[in-house]
Amino acid sequence: MRVLVADDSRVMRQIVIRTLRQAGYDWWEITEAPDGAAALELAINMDPDLVLSDWNMPEMTGIELLRTMRAQGMDIPFGFVTSEGSTEMREQADAAGALFLIAKPFSAEVFRDTIDPFLA
Amino acid sequence: MSLDINIALDDFSGTDPIWVIAEEVFTAMVDGEPGFLRPWEGDQAELTDPMYAWVDVHGALPGRVLLTAERETVEHLSRALLAMGEDEVLSETDMADALGEVANVVGGNVKALVPDPGALTLPQVAHERPEIDAEGLMYELPLDWRGRMVVIGLWRLL
Repeated sequence: MRVLVADDSRVMRQIVIRTLRQAGYDWWEITEAPDGAAALELAINMDPDLVLSDWNMPEMTGIELLRTMRAQGMDIPFGFVTSEGSTEMREQADAAGALFLIAKPFSAEVFRDTIDPFLA
Repeated sequence: MSLDINIALDDFSGTDPIWVIAEEVFTAMVDGEPGFLRPWEGDQAELTDPMYAWVDVHGALPGRVLLTAERETVEHLSRALLAMGEDEVLSETDMADALGEVANVVGGNVKALVPDPGALTLPQVAHERPEIDAEGLMYELPLDWRGRMVVIGLWRLL
């Protein structure tokens, strides 16, 4: 399974990847993107099985990334991993077609409980 | 110092909500287990070579969440966040990224406590204290992380 992790913080990308491994997804092949624009380019070129994206990023935000992907006909499963998890943002994410929104800080259990249902 | 912003303290059974957020962030992101963060006891020490990281919330109640820690503390914090050993080379960029990301996550969770918040800015990091009106300090929580001081301040942007 090829997964694209988009976050402008290298530290946060490392934490997300480490937590994914702790959650049991150590078999995933992970590619990193430092912002939304880079993630869009990678999504087009590598056609990943899942995109995990921060919300607040330079160049292109996570929600802009998701909306652009959907507008271009890319239906790659998409989830947010973000420092904010307000009701308004969850509604925006849902309306744009995101599968889930995980708010930071997170644990391996939260990753498992949130992501597992979509892997069946 | 009173917590005079509109935070639903009752939701936390009388516990300081900023403390609750800080404990969650350090337990999940930094240490991987609870017990290494506690409120700072006694007077605040003068910080040597401090670093500052902050995020701003725009909107009806513009504010800033500011983290302050000594450079040496930020180095330990960064190694913990990146799961790096003492012998591995840590860059200034990684240190700024690490402290900024802690401020970002604390700020995002503080924002969730405020009614009708605006957008959260990307984190900024500096070795100089950011220009801010001293009258704007709403709340300050000095913390003890493994014997090192980390201060969380909530500021109203005047």
